[in-house]
Amino acid sequence: MRRSNSQSAREFAGFALPGLFLYGLLVLVPIGWTVVLGFTDRNRFAAATHWVGLEQFQRLFGDDQFWLVLKNTFVVTAIVVVVPNVLGLAIALLLDRNTLLYRLLRSLFFTPVILSGIVVSVIWQSMLRPGGVLNRFFGAVGWLSDPGIALYSISGILCWQMLGFCVVVYLAGLNGVPRELYEAAIVDGAGWWRRFGSVTWPMIASAVTINTVMLLISGFKVYEHILVLTNGGPGRNTTASIAFDVIEKGVRGDRIGFAAAEATVMLAIIVALSGVVLQVLRRREVHL
Amino acid sequence: MRTLRPIGAVALAALFFFPVYVVVTGMLKPVKDIQSSPLGLPTPPTTANLDAVLGREDGLYWSALLNSVQITVLSVVALTLLSAMLAHYLVRSTARWTRPALLMLLAGLMIPPAVILQPITQVLGAAGLMNSVIGVVCANVAYYLPFGVFVFAGFIGGVPVEMEEAASIDGASRFRLFWQVVFPTLRPAAASVMIFLGVWVWNDFLTPLIVLGPESGTTVTVGVYRSVGEYSTDFGTLYAFSFLASLPVLLFFVALQKQFVAGLTAGAVK
Repeated sequence: MRRSNSQSAREFAGFALPGLFLYGLLVLVPIGWTVVLGFTDRNRFAAATHWVGLEQFQRLFGDDQFWLVLKNTFVVTAIVVVVPNVLGLAIALLLDRNTLLYRLLRSLFFTPVILSGIVVSVIWQSMLRPGGVLNRFFGAVGWLSDPGIALYSISGILCWQMLGFCVVVYLAGLNGVPRELYEAAIVDGAGWWRRFGSVTWPMIASAVTINTVMLLISGFKVYEHILVLTNGGPGRNTTASIAFDVIEKGVRGDRIGFAAAEATVMLAIIVALSGVVLQVLRRREVHL
Repeated sequence: MRTLRPIGAVALAALFFFPVYVVVTGMLKPVKDIQSSPLGLPTPPTTANLDAVLGREDGLYWSALLNSVQITVLSVVALTLLSAMLAHYLVRSTARWTRPALLMLLAGLMIPPAVILQPITQVLGAAGLMNSVIGVVCANVAYYLPFGVFVFAGFIGGVPVEMEEAASIDGASRFRLFWQVVFPTLRPAAASVMIFLGVWVWNDFLTPLIVLGPESGTTVTVGVYRSVGEYSTDFGTLYAFSFLASLPVLLFFVALQKQFVAGLTAGAVK
Protein backbone atom coordinates (compact mmCIF):
# COMPACT_ATOMS: atom_id res chain seq x y z
CA MET A 1 0.00 0.00 0.00
CA ARG A 2 1.93 3.03 -1.19
CA ARG A 3 0.37 6.34 -0.56
CA SER A 4 1.35 9.83 -1.63
CA ASN A 5 2.53 12.33 0.94
CA SER A 6 -0.48 14.59 0.64
CA GLN A 7 -2.74 11.61 1.16
CA SER A 8 -0.99 10.50 4.33
CA ALA A 9 -0.95 14.08 5.59
CA ARG A 10 -4.69 14.21 5.06
CA GLU A 11 -5.09 10.95 6.95
CA PHE A 12 -3.05 12.26 9.85
CA ALA A 13 -5.14 15.43 9.93
CA GLY A 14 -8.38 13.49 9.79
CA PHE A 15 -7.70 10.57 12.11
CA ALA A 16 -5.01 11.52 14.58
CA LEU A 17 -4.88 15.29 14.82
CA PRO A 18 -8.21 16.12 16.54
CA GLY A 19 -7.54 13.77 19.46
CA LEU A 20 -3.84 14.54 19.75
CA PHE A 21 -4.54 18.28 19.59
CA LEU A 22 -7.00 18.23 22.49
CA TYR A 23 -4.82 15.86 24.52
CA GLY A 24 -1.77 18.04 23.93
CA LEU A 25 -3.55 21.28 24.72
CA LEU A 26 -5.50 20.14 27.78
CA VAL A 27 -3.28 17.42 29.28
CA LEU A 28 0.34 17.67 28.11
CA VAL A 29 0.60 21.47 28.10
CA PRO A 30 -1.02 21.67 31.57
CA ILE A 31 1.43 19.06 32.91
CA GLY A 32 4.37 21.09 31.61
CA TRP A 33 2.77 24.30 32.81
CA THR A 34 2.29 22.92 36.32
CA VAL A 35 5.95 21.91 36.49
CA VAL A 36 7.07 25.36 35.28
CA LEU A 37 4.72 27.21 37.68
CA GLY A 38 6.30 25.27 40.55
CA PHE A 39 9.45 27.34 40.01
CA THR A 40 7.61 30.67 40.24
CA ASP A 41 5.95 32.73 42.95
CA ARG A 42 2.69 32.98 41.04
CA ASN A 43 -0.21 34.20 43.14
CA ARG A 44 -3.75 34.90 42.02
CA PHE A 45 -3.73 38.34 43.61
CA ALA A 46 -0.20 39.42 42.69
CA ALA A 47 0.25 41.45 39.53
CA ALA A 48 3.66 40.03 38.60
CA THR A 49 5.09 36.51 38.60
CA HIS A 50 8.80 35.89 39.26
CA TRP A 51 11.10 32.97 38.70
CA VAL A 52 12.15 31.81 42.16
CA GLY A 53 14.04 28.62 41.37
CA LEU A 54 13.67 25.92 43.99
CA GLU A 55 12.24 28.22 46.64
CA GLN A 56 8.70 26.76 46.53
CA PHE A 57 10.07 23.22 46.79
CA GLN A 58 12.25 24.21 49.76
CA ARG A 59 9.24 25.81 51.42
CA LEU A 60 7.17 22.72 50.65
CA PHE A 61 9.66 20.22 52.06
CA GLY A 62 10.20 22.39 55.13
CA ASP A 63 6.47 22.50 55.83
CA ASP A 64 5.16 20.06 58.46
CA GLN A 65 1.71 20.33 56.94
CA PHE A 66 2.95 18.97 53.62
CA TRP A 67 4.39 15.87 55.29
CA LEU A 68 1.17 15.41 57.23
CA VAL A 69 -0.91 15.62 54.05
CA LEU A 70 1.47 13.23 52.30
CA LYS A 71 1.25 10.77 55.20
CA ASN A 72 -2.56 10.95 55.11
CA THR A 73 -2.51 10.21 51.37
CA PHE A 74 -0.30 7.16 51.87
CA VAL A 75 -2.46 5.87 54.75
CA VAL A 76 -5.65 6.17 52.65
CA THR A 77 -3.98 4.67 49.57
CA ALA A 78 -2.51 1.73 51.50
CA ILE A 79 -5.87 0.88 53.09
CA VAL A 80 -7.73 1.31 49.81
CA VAL A 81 -5.26 -0.91 47.91
CA VAL A 82 -5.28 -3.73 50.48
CA VAL A 83 -8.79 -3.96 51.97
CA PRO A 84 -11.05 -4.06 48.87
CA ASN A 85 -8.53 -6.35 47.17
CA VAL A 86 -8.60 -8.94 49.98
CA LEU A 87 -12.31 -8.64 50.82
CA GLY A 88 -13.19 -8.48 47.12
CA LEU A 89 -11.43 -11.77 46.44
CA ALA A 90 -13.07 -13.41 49.48
CA ILE A 91 -16.53 -12.22 48.43
CA ALA A 92 -15.90 -13.23 44.81
CA LEU A 93 -15.04 -16.75 46.02
CA LEU A 94 -18.24 -16.75 48.07
CA LEU A 95 -20.39 -15.53 45.16
CA ASP A 96 -18.77 -17.71 42.50
CA ARG A 97 -22.01 -19.59 41.66
CA ASN A 98 -24.04 -18.91 38.56
CA THR A 99 -27.58 -18.89 39.96
CA LEU A 100 -30.08 -16.05 40.07
CA LEU A 101 -29.49 -15.39 43.78
CA TYR A 102 -25.75 -14.93 43.37
CA ARG A 103 -26.13 -12.79 40.27
CA LEU A 104 -28.50 -10.53 42.21
CA LEU A 105 -26.06 -10.26 45.12
CA ARG A 106 -23.31 -9.27 42.68
CA SER A 107 -25.41 -6.32 41.53
CA LEU A 108 -25.90 -5.22 45.14
CA PHE A 109 -22.15 -5.18 45.69
CA PHE A 110 -21.60 -3.34 42.43
CA THR A 111 -24.11 -0.50 43.03
CA PRO A 112 -21.74 1.86 44.96
CA VAL A 113 -19.23 1.65 42.09
CA ILE A 114 -21.60 3.53 39.79
CA LEU A 115 -22.52 6.19 42.35
CA SER A 116 -20.56 9.44 42.40
CA GLY A 117 -18.14 10.12 45.25
CA ILE A 118 -20.31 13.06 46.29
CA VAL A 119 -23.45 10.95 46.65
CA VAL A 120 -21.55 8.24 48.53
CA SER A 121 -20.15 10.88 50.88
CA VAL A 122 -23.59 12.39 51.51
CA ILE A 123 -24.99 8.95 52.36
CA TRP A 124 -22.20 8.17 54.83
CA GLN A 125 -22.18 11.62 56.35
CA SER A 126 -25.82 11.19 57.28
CA MET A 127 -25.04 7.86 58.92
CA LEU A 128 -21.83 8.87 60.70
CA ARG A 129 -22.92 12.24 62.11
CA PRO A 130 -23.40 12.42 65.90
CA GLY A 131 -27.14 11.61 65.77
CA GLY A 132 -26.77 9.18 62.86
CA VAL A 133 -27.71 5.52 62.55
CA LEU A 134 -24.29 4.09 63.31
CA ASN A 135 -24.01 5.74 66.68
CA ARG A 136 -27.22 4.01 67.75
CA PHE A 137 -25.26 0.78 67.70
CA PHE A 138 -21.79 1.91 68.69
CA GLY A 139 -22.49 4.69 71.19
CA ALA A 140 -21.01 8.14 70.64
CA VAL A 141 -18.06 7.54 68.33
CA GLY A 142 -16.64 10.63 66.63
CA TRP A 143 -16.43 8.96 63.22
CA LEU A 144 -15.75 12.22 61.45
CA SER A 145 -14.96 14.53 64.38
CA ASP A 146 -12.25 12.57 66.21
CA PRO A 147 -8.84 13.37 64.64
CA GLY A 148 -7.65 9.85 65.41
CA ILE A 149 -10.59 8.19 63.63
CA ALA A 150 -11.76 10.46 60.78
CA LEU A 151 -9.05 9.45 58.30
CA TYR A 152 -9.93 5.78 58.81
CA SER A 153 -13.63 6.52 58.36
CA ILE A 154 -12.88 8.15 55.01
CA SER A 155 -10.68 5.21 54.00
CA GLY A 156 -13.44 2.80 55.01
CA ILE A 157 -15.99 4.66 52.90
CA LEU A 158 -13.67 4.53 49.88
CA CYS A 159 -13.23 0.79 50.45
CA TRP A 160 -17.02 0.40 50.54
CA GLN A 161 -17.29 2.21 47.23
CA MET A 162 -14.50 0.25 45.48
CA LEU A 163 -15.28 -3.22 46.85
CA GLY A 164 -17.85 -4.11 44.18
CA PHE A 165 -15.38 -3.27 41.42
CA CYS A 166 -12.88 -5.78 42.82
CA VAL A 167 -15.60 -8.41 43.33
CA VAL A 168 -16.71 -8.22 39.69
CA VAL A 169 -13.16 -8.26 38.30
CA TYR A 170 -12.24 -11.25 40.50
CA LEU A 171 -15.43 -13.09 39.52
CA ALA A 172 -14.46 -12.70 35.87
CA GLY A 173 -10.96 -13.92 36.70
CA LEU A 174 -12.34 -16.95 38.53
CA ASN A 175 -14.68 -17.61 35.64
CA GLY A 176 -11.67 -17.89 33.35
CA VAL A 177 -9.96 -20.66 35.34
CA PRO A 178 -10.38 -23.95 33.45
CA ARG A 179 -12.49 -26.42 35.47
CA GLU A 180 -10.16 -29.30 34.49
CA LEU A 181 -7.39 -27.77 36.59
CA TYR A 182 -9.56 -28.06 39.72
CA GLU A 183 -10.63 -31.56 38.81
CA ALA A 184 -7.03 -32.61 38.32
CA ALA A 185 -6.08 -31.04 41.65
CA ILE A 186 -8.91 -32.88 43.43
CA VAL A 187 -7.81 -36.16 41.87
CA ASP A 188 -4.32 -35.44 43.20
CA GLY A 189 -5.84 -35.06 46.67
CA ALA A 190 -5.28 -31.31 47.03
CA GLY A 191 -7.33 -29.61 49.77
CA TRP A 192 -9.12 -26.25 49.41
CA TRP A 193 -6.13 -24.12 50.42
CA ARG A 194 -3.78 -26.09 48.20
CA ARG A 195 -6.13 -25.69 45.24
CA PHE A 196 -6.43 -21.98 45.96
CA GLY A 197 -2.65 -21.48 46.22
CA SER A 198 -1.64 -23.61 43.25
CA VAL A 199 -4.53 -23.12 40.82
CA THR A 200 -6.76 -20.12 41.61
CA TRP A 201 -4.19 -17.57 42.76
CA PRO A 202 -1.77 -17.91 39.82
CA MET A 203 -4.66 -18.01 37.33
CA ILE A 204 -6.18 -14.71 38.47
CA ALA A 205 -2.91 -12.75 38.27
CA SER A 206 -4.21 -10.24 35.70
CA ALA A 207 -7.31 -9.58 37.81
CA VAL A 208 -4.99 -8.73 40.73
CA THR A 209 -3.07 -6.34 38.46
CA ILE A 210 -6.20 -4.55 37.26
CA ASN A 211 -7.61 -4.15 40.77
CA THR A 212 -4.36 -3.03 42.35
CA VAL A 213 -3.65 -0.38 39.72
CA MET A 214 -7.24 0.87 39.76
CA LEU A 215 -7.28 1.08 43.58
CA LEU A 216 -3.90 2.76 43.65
CA ILE A 217 -5.06 5.51 41.30
CA SER A 218 -8.40 5.95 43.13
CA GLY A 219 -6.77 6.11 46.56
CA PHE A 220 -4.07 8.53 45.54
CA LYS A 221 -6.39 11.07 43.92
CA VAL A 222 -9.06 11.07 46.66
CA TYR A 223 -10.65 14.50 46.84
CA GLU A 224 -14.42 14.85 46.97
CA HIS A 225 -14.96 12.42 49.85
CA ILE A 226 -12.69 14.58 51.99
CA LEU A 227 -14.37 17.77 50.80
CA VAL A 228 -17.85 16.59 51.81
CA LEU A 229 -17.08 14.51 54.89
CA THR A 230 -14.49 16.54 56.80
CA ASN A 231 -13.24 19.40 54.61
CA GLY A 232 -9.73 18.39 55.64
CA GLY A 233 -10.41 18.53 59.39
CA PRO A 234 -11.09 18.06 62.23
CA GLY A 235 -8.41 20.51 63.28
CA ARG A 236 -5.77 21.33 60.73
CA ASN A 237 -5.26 18.91 57.83
CA THR A 238 -5.89 15.76 59.87
CA THR A 239 -7.68 14.20 56.89
CA ALA A 240 -6.48 16.36 53.97
CA SER A 241 -4.92 14.45 51.07
CA ILE A 242 -2.32 15.83 48.71
CA ALA A 243 -4.92 16.23 45.93
CA PHE A 244 -7.19 18.07 48.37
CA ASP A 245 -4.34 20.36 49.41
CA VAL A 246 -3.34 21.12 45.80
CA ILE A 247 -6.93 22.03 44.87
CA GLU A 248 -7.57 24.10 47.99
CA LYS A 249 -4.35 26.09 47.63
CA GLY A 250 -3.95 26.39 43.87
CA VAL A 251 -7.37 26.15 42.24
CA ARG A 252 -9.79 27.44 44.87
CA GLY A 253 -7.11 29.41 46.73
CA ASP A 254 -4.50 31.89 45.55
CA ARG A 255 -1.11 30.18 46.12
CA ILE A 256 -0.73 28.92 42.54
CA GLY A 257 3.08 28.61 42.53
CA PHE A 258 3.23 26.72 45.82
CA ALA A 259 0.40 24.38 44.81
CA ALA A 260 2.13 23.77 41.46
CA ALA A 261 5.30 22.65 43.28
CA GLU A 262 3.17 20.32 45.39
CA ALA A 263 1.39 19.02 42.27
CA THR A 264 4.78 18.35 40.66
CA VAL A 265 5.79 16.22 43.66
CA MET A 266 2.43 14.43 43.41
CA LEU A 267 3.06 13.75 39.73
CA ALA A 268 6.54 12.35 40.44
CA ILE A 269 5.15 10.04 43.15
CA ILE A 270 2.32 8.66 41.01
CA VAL A 271 4.66 8.02 38.06
CA ALA A 272 7.21 6.22 40.28
CA LEU A 273 4.53 4.29 42.16
CA SER A 274 2.66 3.06 39.08
CA GLY A 275 5.93 2.14 37.39
CA VAL A 276 7.06 0.01 40.32
CA VAL A 277 3.68 -1.61 40.87
CA LEU A 278 3.21 -2.48 37.19
CA GLN A 279 6.72 -3.97 37.02
CA VAL A 280 6.16 -6.16 40.07
CA LEU A 281 2.70 -7.35 39.07
CA ARG A 282 3.58 -7.94 35.42
CA ARG A 283 6.56 -10.03 36.41
CA ARG A 284 4.27 -12.24 38.46
CA GLU A 285 1.98 -12.67 35.44
CA VAL A 286 4.85 -13.61 33.16
CA HIS A 287 6.17 -16.20 35.59
CA LEU A 288 3.09 -18.40 35.25
CA MET B 1 -22.07 -25.98 54.32
CA ARG B 2 -24.69 -26.15 51.59
CA THR B 3 -27.16 -23.87 53.40
CA LEU B 4 -24.48 -21.83 55.12
CA ARG B 5 -23.15 -20.37 51.89
CA PRO B 6 -26.34 -18.65 50.63
CA ILE B 7 -27.20 -17.47 54.16
CA GLY B 8 -23.72 -16.03 54.64
CA ALA B 9 -23.74 -14.42 51.20
CA VAL B 10 -27.17 -12.83 51.72
CA ALA B 11 -26.27 -11.58 55.21
CA LEU B 12 -23.03 -10.03 53.97
CA ALA B 13 -24.74 -8.40 50.99
CA ALA B 14 -27.49 -7.03 53.26
CA LEU B 15 -24.92 -5.51 55.61
CA PHE B 16 -23.05 -4.04 52.68
CA PHE B 17 -26.18 -2.65 51.04
CA PHE B 18 -27.53 -1.14 54.27
CA PRO B 19 -26.51 2.48 53.46
CA VAL B 20 -28.43 2.35 50.18
CA TYR B 21 -31.47 1.06 52.08
CA VAL B 22 -31.19 3.99 54.50
CA VAL B 23 -31.22 6.46 51.61
CA VAL B 24 -34.04 4.92 49.62
CA THR B 25 -36.35 4.46 52.61
CA GLY B 26 -35.27 7.76 54.21
CA MET B 27 -36.15 9.67 51.08
CA LEU B 28 -39.75 8.43 51.39
CA LYS B 29 -40.13 9.44 55.06
CA PRO B 30 -40.91 12.74 56.77
CA VAL B 31 -37.74 14.25 58.30
CA LYS B 32 -38.78 13.54 61.88
CA ASP B 33 -39.07 9.81 61.08
CA ILE B 34 -35.54 9.77 59.65
CA GLN B 35 -34.35 10.98 63.05
CA SER B 36 -36.56 8.77 65.21
CA SER B 37 -36.61 5.51 63.21
CA PRO B 38 -33.90 5.48 60.55
CA LEU B 39 -34.23 1.72 60.09
CA GLY B 40 -38.01 1.43 59.75
CA LEU B 41 -39.91 1.19 56.51
CA PRO B 42 -41.68 4.35 55.35
CA THR B 43 -45.31 3.75 56.38
CA PRO B 44 -47.01 5.30 54.62
CA PRO B 45 -44.41 6.53 52.10
CA THR B 46 -44.43 10.22 51.26
CA THR B 47 -43.19 11.91 48.11
CA ALA B 48 -42.78 15.26 49.91
CA ASN B 49 -38.95 15.11 49.75
CA LEU B 50 -38.88 14.24 46.05
CA ASP B 51 -41.47 16.95 45.33
CA ALA B 52 -39.36 19.47 47.22
CA VAL B 53 -36.34 18.77 45.01
CA LEU B 54 -38.25 18.52 41.73
CA GLY B 55 -40.36 21.60 42.42
CA ARG B 56 -37.62 23.96 43.66
CA GLU B 57 -38.27 27.61 42.88
CA ASP B 58 -34.93 28.00 41.11
CA GLY B 59 -35.36 24.74 39.16
CA LEU B 60 -31.85 23.67 40.26
CA TYR B 61 -32.46 19.96 39.73
CA TRP B 62 -33.83 20.37 36.21
CA SER B 63 -31.17 22.82 35.02
CA ALA B 64 -28.45 20.62 36.53
CA LEU B 65 -29.97 17.57 34.84
CA LEU B 66 -29.94 19.36 31.49
CA ASN B 67 -26.27 20.30 31.94
CA SER B 68 -25.32 16.77 33.00
CA VAL B 69 -27.11 15.19 30.05
CA GLN B 70 -25.53 17.62 27.57
CA ILE B 71 -22.03 17.21 29.00
CA THR B 72 -22.26 13.43 29.21
CA VAL B 73 -23.75 12.86 25.75
CA LEU B 74 -21.40 15.28 23.95
CA SER B 75 -18.30 14.03 25.82
CA VAL B 76 -19.06 10.36 25.25
CA VAL B 77 -19.90 10.73 21.56
CA ALA B 78 -16.82 12.86 20.88
CA LEU B 79 -14.60 10.52 22.91
CA THR B 80 -15.85 7.40 21.15
CA LEU B 81 -15.28 8.83 17.66
CA LEU B 82 -11.95 10.55 18.35
CA SER B 83 -10.39 7.73 20.36
CA ALA B 84 -11.48 5.09 17.82
CA MET B 85 -9.93 7.06 14.95
CA LEU B 86 -6.77 7.90 16.86
CA ALA B 87 -6.31 4.33 18.11
CA HIS B 88 -6.79 2.97 14.60
CA TYR B 89 -4.28 5.42 13.17
CA LEU B 90 -1.68 4.69 15.85
CA VAL B 91 -2.03 0.91 15.66
CA ARG B 92 -2.09 0.64 11.87
CA SER B 93 0.43 3.33 10.92
CA THR B 94 3.98 2.22 10.21
CA ALA B 95 5.46 5.59 11.14
CA ARG B 96 8.06 5.45 13.86
CA TRP B 97 6.58 8.07 16.17
CA THR B 98 3.31 6.22 16.74
CA ARG B 99 4.75 3.78 19.28
CA PRO B 100 6.03 6.48 21.68
CA ALA B 101 2.83 8.46 21.06
CA LEU B 102 0.77 5.48 22.19
CA LEU B 103 2.89 5.05 25.33
CA MET B 104 2.63 8.76 26.10
CA LEU B 105 -1.15 8.54 25.84
CA LEU B 106 -1.30 5.52 28.13
CA ALA B 107 0.80 7.36 30.72
CA GLY B 108 -2.05 9.87 30.81
CA LEU B 109 -4.30 7.21 32.35
CA MET B 110 -2.64 7.79 35.71
CA ILE B 111 -2.59 11.60 35.90
CA PRO B 112 -4.78 12.84 38.77
CA PRO B 113 -6.99 15.77 37.70
CA ALA B 114 -5.72 17.87 40.63
CA VAL B 115 -2.26 18.07 39.01
CA ILE B 116 -3.45 19.73 35.79
CA LEU B 117 -6.67 21.50 36.69
CA GLN B 118 -5.22 24.96 37.33
CA PRO B 119 -3.49 25.23 33.92
CA ILE B 120 -6.57 23.73 32.25
CA THR B 121 -8.65 26.63 33.53
CA GLN B 122 -6.07 29.01 32.01
CA VAL B 123 -6.10 27.29 28.61
CA LEU B 124 -9.89 27.18 28.55
CA GLY B 125 -10.01 30.79 29.71
CA ALA B 126 -7.72 31.88 26.87
CA ALA B 127 -9.98 30.04 24.42
CA GLY B 128 -13.06 31.73 25.90
CA LEU B 129 -14.46 28.37 27.01
CA MET B 130 -14.57 28.81 30.79
CA ASN B 131 -18.03 28.70 32.37
CA SER B 132 -19.43 26.80 29.39
CA VAL B 133 -20.67 23.30 28.72
CA ILE B 134 -18.31 23.07 25.73
CA GLY B 135 -15.37 23.89 28.00
CA VAL B 136 -16.23 20.96 30.30
CA VAL B 137 -16.68 18.71 27.25
CA CYS B 138 -13.22 19.67 25.89
CA ALA B 139 -11.57 19.02 29.26
CA ASN B 140 -13.36 15.65 29.52
CA VAL B 141 -12.43 14.58 25.99
CA ALA B 142 -8.75 15.37 26.57
CA TYR B 143 -8.65 13.76 30.02
CA TYR B 144 -10.45 10.51 29.12
CA LEU B 145 -8.95 10.11 25.62
CA PRO B 146 -6.21 7.74 26.89
CA PHE B 147 -8.83 5.34 28.25
CA GLY B 148 -10.69 5.26 24.93
CA VAL B 149 -7.47 4.79 22.95
CA PHE B 150 -6.36 2.07 25.38
CA VAL B 151 -9.55 0.04 24.89
CA PHE B 152 -9.78 0.57 21.12
CA ALA B 153 -6.07 -0.07 20.50
CA GLY B 154 -6.26 -3.38 22.36
CA PHE B 155 -9.28 -4.35 20.30
CA ILE B 156 -7.93 -3.22 16.91
CA GLY B 157 -4.73 -5.16 17.56
CA GLY B 158 -6.87 -8.31 17.50
CA VAL B 159 -8.67 -7.54 14.22
CA PRO B 160 -6.91 -8.96 11.13
CA VAL B 161 -5.51 -6.23 8.88
CA GLU B 162 -6.24 -8.23 5.70
CA MET B 163 -9.89 -7.27 5.76
CA GLU B 164 -9.00 -3.58 5.59
CA GLU B 165 -6.45 -4.18 2.84
CA ALA B 166 -8.97 -6.09 0.75
CA ALA B 167 -11.42 -3.22 1.02
CA SER B 168 -8.79 -0.60 0.20
CA ILE B 169 -7.91 -2.39 -3.04
CA ASP B 170 -11.46 -1.68 -4.15
CA GLY B 171 -10.45 1.96 -4.12
CA ALA B 172 -12.39 3.07 -1.07
CA SER B 173 -10.97 6.19 0.59
CA ARG B 174 -9.42 5.73 4.02
CA PHE B 175 -12.28 7.60 5.66
CA ARG B 176 -15.01 5.58 3.99
CA LEU B 177 -13.00 2.47 4.70
CA PHE B 178 -12.83 3.33 8.38
CA TRP B 179 -16.49 4.19 8.88
CA GLN B 180 -17.96 1.48 6.65
CA VAL B 181 -15.61 -1.43 7.22
CA VAL B 182 -13.55 -0.94 10.38
CA PHE B 183 -15.79 0.93 12.81
CA PRO B 184 -18.67 -1.59 12.68
CA THR B 185 -16.24 -4.33 13.75
CA LEU B 186 -15.25 -2.23 16.79
CA ARG B 187 -18.75 -2.21 18.21
CA PRO B 188 -17.97 -4.29 21.34
CA ALA B 189 -15.07 -1.99 22.21
CA ALA B 190 -17.22 1.07 21.49
CA ALA B 191 -19.91 -0.28 23.81
CA SER B 192 -17.56 -0.63 26.75
CA VAL B 193 -15.92 2.74 26.10
CA MET B 194 -19.32 4.45 26.00
CA ILE B 195 -20.64 2.72 29.11
CA PHE B 196 -17.56 3.38 31.22
CA LEU B 197 -17.12 6.96 30.15
CA GLY B 198 -20.85 7.58 30.48
CA VAL B 199 -20.72 6.60 34.15
CA TRP B 200 -17.43 8.40 34.85
CA VAL B 201 -18.37 11.64 33.12
CA TRP B 202 -21.81 11.68 34.75
CA ASN B 203 -20.24 11.25 38.19
CA ASP B 204 -17.40 13.72 37.63
CA PHE B 205 -17.28 16.42 40.25
CA LEU B 206 -14.11 18.46 40.19
CA THR B 207 -14.01 19.46 36.50
CA PRO B 208 -17.62 20.71 36.30
CA LEU B 209 -17.27 22.38 39.72
CA ILE B 210 -14.30 24.45 38.58
CA VAL B 211 -14.82 24.79 34.81
CA LEU B 212 -18.58 25.34 34.77
CA GLY B 213 -18.31 27.52 37.85
CA PRO B 214 -21.22 29.04 39.73
CA GLU B 215 -22.24 31.35 36.87
CA SER B 216 -23.29 28.70 34.40
CA GLY B 217 -25.27 26.47 36.72
CA THR B 218 -24.16 23.03 37.82
CA THR B 219 -24.26 19.38 36.95
CA VAL B 220 -26.29 17.04 39.15
CA THR B 221 -23.19 15.94 41.10
CA VAL B 222 -22.21 19.52 41.86
CA GLY B 223 -25.88 20.20 42.62
CA VAL B 224 -25.82 17.53 45.35
CA TYR B 225 -22.69 19.13 46.80
CA ARG B 226 -24.23 22.62 46.79
CA SER B 227 -27.38 21.33 48.45
CA VAL B 228 -25.32 19.76 51.27
CA GLY B 229 -24.68 23.25 52.61
CA GLU B 230 -28.18 24.45 51.85
CA TYR B 231 -30.26 21.65 53.36
CA SER B 232 -27.72 20.96 56.13
CA THR B 233 -29.47 18.36 58.29
CA ASP B 234 -32.62 18.02 56.19
CA PHE B 235 -31.59 14.55 55.16
CA GLY B 236 -34.91 13.67 53.56
CA THR B 237 -34.36 16.29 50.86
CA LEU B 238 -30.64 15.47 50.59
CA TYR B 239 -31.43 11.78 50.09
CA ALA B 240 -34.03 12.68 47.48
CA PHE B 241 -31.57 14.91 45.61
CA SER B 242 -28.86 12.21 45.77
CA PHE B 243 -31.31 9.61 44.52
CA LEU B 244 -32.55 11.79 41.65
CA ALA B 245 -28.95 12.65 40.71
CA SER B 246 -28.02 8.95 40.55
CA LEU B 247 -31.25 7.68 38.97
CA PRO B 248 -30.25 8.25 35.29
CA VAL B 249 -26.91 6.50 35.74
CA LEU B 250 -28.53 3.66 37.69
CA LEU B 251 -31.08 3.11 34.90
CA PHE B 252 -28.29 3.31 32.33
CA PHE B 253 -26.40 0.66 34.28
CA VAL B 254 -29.39 -1.67 34.69
CA ALA B 255 -30.17 -1.42 30.97
CA LEU B 256 -26.59 -2.15 29.90
CA GLN B 257 -25.48 -4.31 32.82
CA LYS B 258 -24.35 -7.21 30.64
CA GLN B 259 -22.06 -5.12 28.41
CA PHE B 260 -20.85 -3.16 31.41
CA VAL B 261 -19.60 -6.21 33.24
CA ALA B 262 -18.24 -7.69 30.01
CA GLY B 263 -16.28 -4.50 29.37
CA LEU B 264 -15.04 -4.27 32.93
CA THR B 265 -13.78 -7.79 32.90
CA ALA B 266 -12.39 -8.04 29.38
CA GLY B 267 -8.92 -7.48 30.76
CA ALA B 268 -9.31 -9.76 33.75
CA VAL B 269 -9.39 -12.97 31.71
CA LYS B 270 -6.64 -13.42 29.22
